[in-house]
Amino acid sequence: MGPVSDRDTIDQAPTDEVVELPAKARLIRLVIGAAILALTLSGTVFGDDYAFPFGPPRMYATRADPDTPVSSTRVVALTDAGEEVPLSGGEVGLRRAEFEGQVPRLVDNPELLGLLAENYLINHPESVPLVAVAIIVRRLELRDGQPTGAYDDDVLVTYPLAAGSEDGA
Amino acid sequence: MSRVRSVTGWFFAPVALARVAVFRLIAYLFIPIDVFVTTRWVAAHAGVPTEYYQPLLIGEWLRLPTPSTAVVDVVKWLLIGSALLAATGRAPRIWGTTTFLLYFEWMVIAMSYGKVDHDRYAFLVALAVLPTVGIAQWRDQRRSQAAGFAVAVIFLAIMLTYFLAAWAKIRFGGWDWVNGSTLTRAVLRRGTDLSMWTLDVPGLLHVSQYLMIGFELLSPLMLLARRDRARIALVIFLLGFHLMVFAGVRIIFLPHVVAILFLLPWERLRRVRPGPAGRLDAGGDVIPRTDDRAGAVS
Repeated sequence: MGPVSDRDTIDQAPTDEVVELPAKARLIRLVIGAAILALTLSGTVFGDDYAFPFGPPRMYATRADPDTPVSSTRVVALTDAGEEVPLSGGEVGLRRAEFEGQVPRLVDNPELLGLLAENYLINHPESVPLVAVAIIVRRLELRDGQPTGAYDDDVLVTYPLAAGSEDGA
Repeated sequence: MSRVRSVTGWFFAPVALARVAVFRLIAYLFIPIDVFVTTRWVAAHAGVPTEYYQPLLIGEWLRLPTPSTAVVDVVKWLLIGSALLAATGRAPRIWGTTTFLLYFEWMVIAMSYGKVDHDRYAFLVALAVLPTVGIAQWRDQRRSQAAGFAVAVIFLAIMLTYFLAAWAKIRFGGWDWVNGSTLTRAVLRRGTDLSMWTLDVPGLLHVSQYLMIGFELLSPLMLLARRDRARIALVIFLLGFHLMVFAGVRIIFLPHVVAILFLLPWERLRRVRPGPAGRLDAGGDVIPRTDDRAGAVS
Protein backbone atom coordinates (compact mmCIF):
# COMPACT_ATOMS: atom_id res chain seq x y z
CA MET A 1 0.00 0.00 0.00
CA GLY A 2 1.24 3.47 -0.82
CA PRO A 3 1.56 6.38 1.51
CA VAL A 4 -1.34 6.79 3.86
CA SER A 5 -3.40 9.80 2.96
CA ASP A 6 -5.95 11.51 5.12
CA ARG A 7 -8.65 9.59 3.36
CA ASP A 8 -7.05 6.25 4.12
CA THR A 9 -6.98 6.85 7.80
CA ILE A 10 -10.70 6.34 7.97
CA ASP A 11 -10.26 2.59 7.84
CA GLN A 12 -7.82 2.42 10.67
CA ALA A 13 -10.40 1.32 13.13
CA PRO A 14 -14.01 0.31 13.07
CA THR A 15 -15.97 3.23 14.17
CA ASP A 16 -19.23 4.00 15.78
CA GLU A 17 -19.16 7.45 14.30
CA VAL A 18 -22.31 8.66 12.57
CA VAL A 19 -22.05 11.24 9.81
CA GLU A 20 -25.14 13.31 10.39
CA LEU A 21 -27.05 15.45 7.95
CA PRO A 22 -27.93 19.01 8.89
CA ALA A 23 -31.61 19.48 9.65
CA LYS A 24 -32.05 21.51 6.47
CA ALA A 25 -30.56 18.77 4.29
CA ARG A 26 -32.89 16.25 5.90
CA LEU A 27 -35.89 18.48 5.28
CA ILE A 28 -35.01 18.99 1.59
CA ARG A 29 -34.68 15.24 1.13
CA LEU A 30 -38.00 14.56 2.82
CA VAL A 31 -39.84 17.20 0.79
CA ILE A 32 -38.46 15.99 -2.57
CA GLY A 33 -39.05 12.40 -1.54
CA ALA A 34 -42.66 13.19 -0.58
CA ALA A 35 -43.22 14.90 -3.95
CA ILE A 36 -41.88 11.88 -5.86
CA LEU A 37 -44.00 9.59 -3.70
CA ALA A 38 -47.10 11.69 -4.40
CA LEU A 39 -46.42 11.56 -8.15
CA THR A 40 -45.88 7.82 -7.96
CA LEU A 41 -49.07 7.15 -6.04
CA SER A 42 -51.23 9.44 -8.17
CA GLY A 43 -49.67 7.97 -11.31
CA THR A 44 -50.86 4.54 -10.30
CA VAL A 45 -54.30 5.72 -9.19
CA PHE A 46 -55.07 8.08 -12.10
CA GLY A 47 -52.33 7.81 -14.72
CA ASP A 48 -51.37 5.44 -17.48
CA ASP A 49 -48.20 4.35 -19.29
CA TYR A 50 -48.01 7.78 -20.93
CA ALA A 51 -47.01 9.16 -17.52
CA PHE A 52 -43.74 7.15 -17.39
CA PRO A 53 -41.94 6.86 -15.00
CA PHE A 54 -44.94 7.48 -12.77
CA GLY A 55 -47.48 5.33 -14.57
CA PRO A 56 -49.10 2.32 -12.91
CA PRO A 57 -46.94 -0.82 -12.86
CA ARG A 58 -49.56 -2.67 -14.82
CA MET A 59 -47.61 -5.72 -15.87
CA TYR A 60 -50.11 -8.54 -16.22
CA ALA A 61 -52.77 -6.37 -14.59
CA THR A 62 -55.36 -6.97 -17.28
CA ARG A 63 -57.75 -9.76 -16.46
CA ALA A 64 -57.70 -12.42 -19.11
CA ASP A 65 -61.04 -14.15 -19.46
CA PRO A 66 -60.76 -17.95 -19.10
CA ASP A 67 -62.85 -18.52 -22.23
CA THR A 68 -61.48 -15.76 -24.44
CA PRO A 69 -58.74 -16.79 -26.86
CA VAL A 70 -55.15 -15.74 -26.15
CA SER A 71 -53.91 -13.41 -28.88
CA SER A 72 -50.39 -13.30 -30.14
CA THR A 73 -49.55 -10.69 -32.77
CA ARG A 74 -46.84 -10.92 -35.39
CA VAL A 75 -45.77 -8.60 -38.15
CA VAL A 76 -44.41 -10.33 -41.22
CA ALA A 77 -43.24 -9.48 -44.68
CA LEU A 78 -44.54 -11.76 -47.42
CA THR A 79 -42.49 -13.07 -50.28
CA ASP A 80 -43.75 -13.76 -53.76
CA ALA A 81 -44.08 -17.42 -52.79
CA GLY A 82 -46.30 -16.47 -49.87
CA GLU A 83 -43.66 -17.23 -47.27
CA GLU A 84 -43.53 -15.18 -44.08
CA VAL A 85 -40.42 -13.21 -43.14
CA PRO A 86 -40.75 -12.27 -39.45
CA LEU A 87 -40.38 -8.56 -38.64
CA SER A 88 -41.68 -8.45 -35.06
CA GLY A 89 -38.94 -10.49 -33.42
CA GLY A 90 -36.47 -7.59 -33.33
CA GLU A 91 -35.55 -7.74 -37.04
CA VAL A 92 -36.40 -4.06 -37.55
CA GLY A 93 -35.59 -2.83 -34.03
CA LEU A 94 -39.05 -3.16 -32.53
CA ARG A 95 -40.31 -5.82 -30.13
CA ARG A 96 -43.53 -7.74 -30.46
CA ALA A 97 -45.05 -5.86 -27.53
CA GLU A 98 -44.20 -2.55 -29.18
CA PHE A 99 -45.99 -3.61 -32.33
CA GLU A 100 -48.95 -4.69 -30.23
CA GLY A 101 -49.04 -1.27 -28.60
CA GLN A 102 -49.15 0.39 -32.01
CA VAL A 103 -51.54 -2.00 -33.79
CA PRO A 104 -54.52 0.42 -33.90
CA ARG A 105 -52.29 3.14 -35.34
CA LEU A 106 -50.76 0.75 -37.90
CA VAL A 107 -54.18 -0.47 -39.01
CA ASP A 108 -55.18 3.16 -39.61
CA ASN A 109 -51.89 4.07 -41.28
CA PRO A 110 -50.70 0.91 -43.04
CA GLU A 111 -48.14 2.89 -45.03
CA LEU A 112 -46.06 2.82 -41.83
CA LEU A 113 -45.64 -0.89 -42.49
CA GLY A 114 -43.92 -0.04 -45.76
CA LEU A 115 -41.14 1.72 -43.84
CA LEU A 116 -40.41 -1.54 -42.05
CA ALA A 117 -39.89 -3.41 -45.29
CA GLU A 118 -37.48 -0.73 -46.53
CA ASN A 119 -35.66 -0.92 -43.22
CA TYR A 120 -35.49 -4.70 -43.38
CA LEU A 121 -34.12 -4.71 -46.90
CA ILE A 122 -31.42 -2.20 -45.97
CA ASN A 123 -30.29 -4.45 -43.13
CA HIS A 124 -30.77 -7.69 -45.04
CA PRO A 125 -29.66 -6.96 -48.60
CA GLU A 126 -29.51 -10.70 -49.30
CA SER A 127 -33.25 -11.02 -48.71
CA VAL A 128 -35.55 -12.37 -51.37
CA PRO A 129 -37.92 -9.72 -52.81
CA LEU A 130 -40.83 -8.80 -50.56
CA VAL A 131 -44.29 -8.12 -51.91
CA ALA A 132 -46.30 -7.10 -48.82
CA VAL A 133 -46.23 -6.55 -45.08
CA ALA A 134 -49.00 -7.92 -42.89
CA ILE A 135 -50.09 -7.89 -39.27
CA ILE A 136 -51.38 -11.28 -38.24
CA VAL A 137 -53.04 -12.11 -34.94
CA ARG A 138 -53.04 -15.72 -33.84
CA ARG A 139 -55.87 -16.54 -31.47
CA LEU A 140 -55.29 -19.61 -29.34
CA GLU A 141 -58.53 -21.05 -28.06
CA LEU A 142 -59.05 -21.40 -24.31
CA ARG A 143 -61.69 -23.34 -22.44
CA ASP A 144 -61.92 -22.81 -18.68
CA GLY A 145 -58.48 -21.30 -18.80
CA GLN A 146 -56.97 -24.36 -20.48
CA PRO A 147 -55.64 -24.20 -24.02
CA THR A 148 -57.45 -26.57 -26.36
CA GLY A 149 -54.66 -26.55 -28.94
CA ALA A 150 -56.87 -24.98 -31.62
CA TYR A 151 -56.02 -21.60 -33.11
CA ASP A 152 -57.02 -19.14 -35.82
CA ASP A 153 -54.81 -16.74 -37.74
CA ASP A 154 -56.46 -13.42 -38.47
CA VAL A 155 -54.82 -11.01 -40.90
CA LEU A 156 -55.56 -7.52 -39.52
CA VAL A 157 -54.05 -5.55 -42.35
CA THR A 158 -51.94 -6.17 -45.44
CA TYR A 159 -49.90 -3.44 -47.07
CA PRO A 160 -48.74 -4.19 -50.60
CA LEU A 161 -45.24 -2.98 -51.37
CA ALA A 162 -44.47 -0.94 -54.45
CA ALA A 163 -42.11 -2.55 -56.96
CA GLY A 164 -39.32 -0.31 -55.69
CA SER A 165 -39.20 -2.21 -52.42
CA GLU A 166 -38.53 -5.40 -54.27
CA ASP A 167 -34.91 -4.46 -54.65
CA GLY A 168 -35.53 -3.58 -58.31
CA ALA A 169 -35.68 -7.24 -59.22
CA MET B 1 -44.33 14.33 17.72
CA SER B 2 -42.68 11.06 18.57
CA ARG B 3 -44.37 9.52 15.55
CA VAL B 4 -42.86 12.17 13.30
CA ARG B 5 -39.54 11.42 14.90
CA SER B 6 -39.85 7.72 14.27
CA VAL B 7 -40.71 8.31 10.60
CA THR B 8 -37.72 10.56 10.09
CA GLY B 9 -35.75 8.09 12.16
CA TRP B 10 -36.64 5.37 9.67
CA PHE B 11 -35.64 7.50 6.72
CA PHE B 12 -32.34 8.58 8.22
CA ALA B 13 -31.31 5.46 10.13
CA PRO B 14 -27.58 5.63 9.48
CA VAL B 15 -25.99 3.10 7.14
CA ALA B 16 -22.28 2.44 6.61
CA LEU B 17 -20.78 4.43 3.74
CA ALA B 18 -18.97 1.25 2.68
CA ARG B 19 -22.32 -0.20 1.61
CA VAL B 20 -22.92 2.75 -0.70
CA ALA B 21 -19.44 2.32 -2.16
CA VAL B 22 -20.10 -1.34 -2.97
CA PHE B 23 -23.64 -0.86 -4.24
CA ARG B 24 -22.66 2.13 -6.34
CA LEU B 25 -20.09 0.02 -8.15
CA ILE B 26 -22.71 -2.69 -8.79
CA ALA B 27 -25.34 -0.23 -9.98
CA TYR B 28 -23.10 1.77 -12.30
CA LEU B 29 -21.35 -1.27 -13.76
CA PHE B 30 -24.76 -2.79 -14.38
CA ILE B 31 -25.53 0.01 -16.85
CA PRO B 32 -23.16 -1.21 -19.59
CA ILE B 33 -24.51 -4.73 -19.02
CA ASP B 34 -28.05 -3.37 -19.34
CA VAL B 35 -27.24 -1.44 -22.52
CA PHE B 36 -25.15 -4.07 -24.31
CA VAL B 37 -26.46 -7.38 -23.00
CA THR B 38 -29.73 -7.59 -21.14
CA THR B 39 -31.77 -4.73 -22.63
CA ARG B 40 -30.22 -4.52 -26.06
CA TRP B 41 -33.52 -3.69 -27.71
CA VAL B 42 -33.24 -0.06 -26.54
CA ALA B 43 -30.18 0.55 -28.70
CA ALA B 44 -32.02 -1.16 -31.57
CA HIS B 45 -34.41 1.80 -31.59
CA ALA B 46 -31.62 3.69 -33.36
CA GLY B 47 -32.60 1.86 -36.54
CA VAL B 48 -36.36 2.29 -36.22
CA PRO B 49 -38.08 4.82 -38.51
CA THR B 50 -38.81 7.91 -36.42
CA GLU B 51 -42.44 7.67 -37.55
CA TYR B 52 -42.75 4.91 -34.96
CA TYR B 53 -41.74 7.23 -32.10
CA GLN B 54 -44.70 7.82 -29.78
CA PRO B 55 -43.54 10.45 -27.28
CA LEU B 56 -44.37 10.08 -23.61
CA LEU B 57 -45.74 12.94 -21.52
CA ILE B 58 -42.27 13.65 -20.15
CA GLY B 59 -40.80 13.67 -23.67
CA GLU B 60 -43.35 16.22 -24.84
CA TRP B 61 -43.14 18.30 -21.72
CA LEU B 62 -39.35 18.55 -21.74
CA ARG B 63 -39.29 18.67 -25.56
CA LEU B 64 -36.83 15.81 -25.66
CA PRO B 65 -35.40 15.18 -29.11
CA THR B 66 -36.95 12.63 -31.44
CA PRO B 67 -34.68 9.58 -31.18
CA SER B 68 -33.01 9.59 -34.57
CA THR B 69 -30.11 7.21 -35.11
CA ALA B 70 -27.65 9.91 -34.10
CA VAL B 71 -29.54 10.85 -30.92
CA VAL B 72 -29.74 7.23 -29.76
CA ASP B 73 -26.06 6.57 -30.44
CA VAL B 74 -24.86 9.77 -28.78
CA VAL B 75 -26.98 9.17 -25.67
CA LYS B 76 -25.74 5.59 -25.52
CA TRP B 77 -22.05 6.43 -25.54
CA LEU B 78 -22.41 9.41 -23.21
CA LEU B 79 -24.31 7.16 -20.81
CA ILE B 80 -21.65 4.45 -20.92
CA GLY B 81 -18.87 6.97 -20.35
CA SER B 82 -20.72 8.65 -17.52
CA ALA B 83 -21.58 5.33 -15.83
CA LEU B 84 -17.97 4.16 -15.94
CA LEU B 85 -16.79 7.46 -14.45
CA ALA B 86 -19.46 7.20 -11.76
CA ALA B 87 -18.35 3.64 -11.00
CA THR B 88 -14.92 4.93 -10.02
CA GLY B 89 -16.52 6.68 -7.06
CA ARG B 90 -14.78 9.96 -7.85
CA ALA B 91 -16.86 13.14 -7.99
CA PRO B 92 -19.93 11.03 -7.18
CA ARG B 93 -22.36 13.93 -7.18
CA ILE B 94 -21.39 15.09 -10.67
CA TRP B 95 -21.04 11.73 -12.43
CA GLY B 96 -23.91 10.26 -10.47
CA THR B 97 -26.21 13.07 -11.60
CA THR B 98 -25.17 12.94 -15.25
CA THR B 99 -25.56 9.18 -15.20
CA PHE B 100 -29.05 9.47 -13.77
CA LEU B 101 -30.10 12.06 -16.36
CA LEU B 102 -28.63 10.12 -19.27
CA TYR B 103 -30.13 6.85 -18.08
CA PHE B 104 -33.48 8.58 -17.71
CA GLU B 105 -33.24 9.79 -21.31
CA TRP B 106 -32.21 6.26 -22.31
CA MET B 107 -35.41 5.01 -20.71
CA VAL B 108 -37.45 7.61 -22.58
CA ILE B 109 -35.92 6.26 -25.79
CA ALA B 110 -36.77 2.78 -24.59
CA MET B 111 -40.40 3.34 -23.66
CA SER B 112 -41.59 5.64 -26.45
CA TYR B 113 -42.42 3.01 -29.08
CA GLY B 114 -45.74 1.60 -27.93
CA LYS B 115 -44.67 -0.43 -24.91
CA VAL B 116 -43.72 0.74 -21.44
CA ASP B 117 -41.91 -1.69 -19.17
CA HIS B 118 -42.23 -1.57 -15.40
CA ASP B 119 -39.08 -3.33 -14.35
CA ARG B 120 -36.87 -0.43 -13.28
CA TYR B 121 -38.69 2.11 -11.14
CA ALA B 122 -36.55 1.20 -8.12
CA PHE B 123 -33.38 1.28 -10.22
CA LEU B 124 -34.22 4.79 -11.45
CA VAL B 125 -34.85 5.85 -7.87
CA ALA B 126 -31.49 4.34 -6.92
CA LEU B 127 -29.68 6.28 -9.65
CA ALA B 128 -31.47 9.46 -8.56
CA VAL B 129 -30.60 9.11 -4.90
CA LEU B 130 -27.04 7.73 -5.06
CA PRO B 131 -25.43 11.09 -5.91
CA THR B 132 -26.96 12.61 -2.77
CA VAL B 133 -24.75 10.44 -0.57
CA GLY B 134 -21.56 12.06 -1.79
CA ILE B 135 -18.12 10.58 -1.19
CA ALA B 136 -18.23 7.01 0.07
CA GLN B 137 -15.08 4.93 0.41
CA TRP B 138 -14.94 1.15 0.36
CA ARG B 139 -13.30 1.04 3.77
CA ASP B 140 -15.35 3.76 5.37
CA GLN B 141 -17.24 1.99 8.12
CA ARG B 142 -18.67 5.23 9.44
CA ARG B 143 -22.42 5.25 9.23
CA SER B 144 -24.10 8.12 7.48
CA GLN B 145 -27.61 9.52 7.56
CA ALA B 146 -27.34 10.42 3.87
CA ALA B 147 -26.54 6.78 3.07
CA GLY B 148 -29.42 5.72 5.31
CA PHE B 149 -31.79 7.94 3.37
CA ALA B 150 -30.65 6.38 0.10
CA VAL B 151 -31.31 2.88 1.45
CA ALA B 152 -34.70 3.95 2.80
CA VAL B 153 -36.04 5.45 -0.41
CA ILE B 154 -34.75 2.58 -2.55
CA PHE B 155 -36.41 0.16 -0.11
CA LEU B 156 -39.63 2.14 -0.43
CA ALA B 157 -39.39 2.10 -4.24
CA ILE B 158 -38.85 -1.67 -4.24
CA MET B 159 -41.89 -2.16 -2.03
CA LEU B 160 -44.04 0.18 -4.11
CA THR B 161 -43.21 -1.76 -7.28
CA TYR B 162 -45.02 -4.74 -5.76
CA PHE B 163 -47.77 -2.93 -3.90
CA LEU B 164 -48.72 -0.67 -6.78
CA ALA B 165 -48.68 -3.68 -9.10
CA ALA B 166 -51.49 -5.10 -6.96
CA TRP B 167 -53.27 -1.78 -7.13
CA ALA B 168 -52.97 -1.77 -10.92
CA LYS B 169 -54.35 -5.30 -11.11
CA ILE B 170 -57.41 -4.25 -9.14
CA ARG B 171 -57.74 -1.02 -11.09
CA PHE B 172 -57.40 -2.54 -14.58
CA GLY B 173 -58.31 -6.15 -14.05
CA GLY B 174 -60.97 -5.63 -11.39
CA TRP B 175 -61.41 -7.56 -8.16
CA ASP B 176 -62.02 -10.62 -10.30
CA TRP B 177 -58.48 -10.47 -11.70
CA VAL B 178 -57.57 -13.46 -9.55
CA ASN B 179 -60.17 -15.57 -11.32
CA GLY B 180 -59.00 -14.67 -14.80
CA SER B 181 -56.47 -16.54 -16.86
CA THR B 182 -53.72 -13.95 -16.92
CA LEU B 183 -50.98 -16.38 -15.95
CA THR B 184 -52.22 -19.00 -18.42
CA ARG B 185 -52.02 -16.36 -21.09
CA ALA B 186 -48.51 -15.42 -19.98
CA VAL B 187 -47.30 -19.02 -20.05
CA LEU B 188 -48.94 -19.62 -23.42
CA ARG B 189 -47.24 -16.59 -24.89
CA ARG B 190 -43.87 -16.81 -23.18
CA GLY B 191 -43.71 -20.22 -21.54
CA THR B 192 -40.50 -22.23 -21.22
CA ASP B 193 -39.77 -25.94 -20.84
CA LEU B 194 -39.78 -25.28 -17.11
CA SER B 195 -43.29 -23.84 -17.08
CA MET B 196 -45.39 -25.40 -19.83
CA TRP B 197 -46.35 -28.26 -17.50
CA THR B 198 -48.21 -25.77 -15.28
CA LEU B 199 -50.83 -25.49 -18.04
CA ASP B 200 -51.73 -29.15 -17.48
CA VAL B 201 -52.28 -28.90 -13.72
CA PRO B 202 -55.83 -27.69 -13.24
CA GLY B 203 -56.07 -24.84 -10.75
CA LEU B 204 -52.34 -24.34 -10.24
CA LEU B 205 -52.00 -21.06 -12.11
CA HIS B 206 -55.34 -19.96 -10.68
CA VAL B 207 -54.09 -20.42 -7.11
CA SER B 208 -50.80 -18.76 -8.07
CA GLN B 209 -52.74 -15.64 -8.97
CA TYR B 210 -54.18 -15.49 -5.45
CA LEU B 211 -50.72 -15.97 -3.94
CA MET B 212 -49.24 -13.32 -6.18
CA ILE B 213 -51.73 -10.57 -5.44
CA GLY B 214 -51.72 -11.56 -1.76
CA PHE B 215 -47.98 -11.10 -1.57
CA GLU B 216 -48.17 -7.82 -3.44
CA LEU B 217 -50.89 -6.41 -1.18
CA LEU B 218 -48.92 -7.42 1.91
CA SER B 219 -45.64 -6.07 0.57
CA PRO B 220 -45.66 -2.92 2.77
CA LEU B 221 -44.94 -5.28 5.67
CA MET B 222 -41.49 -5.85 4.22
CA LEU B 223 -40.55 -2.39 5.49
CA LEU B 224 -40.67 -3.85 8.99
CA ALA B 225 -37.52 -5.82 8.21
CA ARG B 226 -34.91 -3.69 9.90
CA ARG B 227 -32.29 -6.07 11.21
CA ASP B 228 -29.61 -7.15 8.78
CA ARG B 229 -30.58 -10.79 9.07
CA ALA B 230 -34.24 -10.06 8.30
CA ARG B 231 -33.25 -8.03 5.27
CA ILE B 232 -30.94 -10.76 3.98
CA ALA B 233 -33.85 -13.20 4.28
CA LEU B 234 -36.09 -10.74 2.45
CA VAL B 235 -33.58 -10.33 -0.38
CA ILE B 236 -33.28 -14.11 -0.75
CA PHE B 237 -37.07 -14.41 -0.88
CA LEU B 238 -37.45 -11.67 -3.48
CA LEU B 239 -34.60 -12.95 -5.64
CA GLY B 240 -36.14 -16.43 -5.44
CA PHE B 241 -39.46 -15.03 -6.65
CA HIS B 242 -37.86 -13.26 -9.59
CA LEU B 243 -35.79 -16.32 -10.54
CA MET B 244 -38.93 -18.44 -10.50
CA VAL B 245 -40.75 -15.98 -12.75
CA PHE B 246 -37.75 -15.92 -15.03
CA ALA B 247 -37.71 -19.70 -15.27
CA GLY B 248 -41.40 -19.64 -16.11
CA VAL B 249 -41.86 -16.78 -18.56
CA ARG B 250 -38.35 -15.37 -19.18
CA ILE B 251 -39.07 -12.07 -17.44
CA ILE B 252 -36.45 -11.19 -14.83
CA PHE B 253 -36.96 -7.53 -13.86
CA LEU B 254 -33.17 -7.31 -13.75
CA PRO B 255 -32.77 -3.58 -12.95
CA HIS B 256 -35.26 -4.02 -10.11
CA VAL B 257 -33.26 -7.03 -8.89
CA VAL B 258 -30.09 -4.91 -8.91
CA ALA B 259 -31.86 -2.29 -6.77
CA ILE B 260 -32.85 -5.03 -4.30
CA LEU B 261 -29.15 -5.71 -3.70
CA PHE B 262 -28.88 -2.37 -1.90
CA LEU B 263 -30.77 -3.91 1.02
CA LEU B 264 -27.86 -6.26 1.72
CA PRO B 265 -25.36 -5.19 4.41
CA TRP B 266 -22.37 -5.17 2.08
CA GLU B 267 -20.32 -3.34 4.69
CA ARG B 268 -20.17 -6.54 6.71
CA LEU B 269 -17.99 -8.18 4.08
CA ARG B 270 -15.15 -6.37 5.81
CA ARG B 271 -15.49 -8.69 8.75
CA VAL B 272 -14.45 -11.73 6.81
CA ARG B 273 -12.11 -10.00 4.40
CA PRO B 274 -9.50 -7.76 5.92
CA GLY B 275 -8.26 -4.80 3.94
CA PRO B 276 -5.81 -5.15 1.07
CA ALA B 277 -3.02 -4.03 3.33
CA GLY B 278 -3.38 -7.34 5.12
CA ARG B 279 -4.12 -5.50 8.31
CA LEU B 280 -6.64 -7.52 10.20
CA ASP B 281 -9.34 -5.48 11.71
CA ALA B 282 -8.60 -6.77 15.13
CA GLY B 283 -11.91 -5.51 16.33
CA GLY B 284 -13.75 -6.73 13.25
CA ASP B 285 -16.64 -7.94 15.29
CA VAL B 286 -17.27 -4.57 16.75
CA ILE B 287 -17.97 -3.00 13.38
CA PRO B 288 -21.31 -1.52 14.17
CA ARG B 289 -24.17 -3.23 12.44
CA THR B 290 -26.75 -1.19 10.66
CA ASP B 291 -29.36 -2.45 12.99
CA ASP B 292 -27.60 -1.46 16.17
CA ARG B 293 -29.13 1.75 17.33
CA ALA B 294 -31.07 1.82 14.09
CA GLY B 295 -33.42 4.38 15.45
CA ALA B 296 -30.74 6.52 16.99
CA VAL B 297 -31.14 9.86 15.36
CA SER B 298 -30.26 13.02 17.07
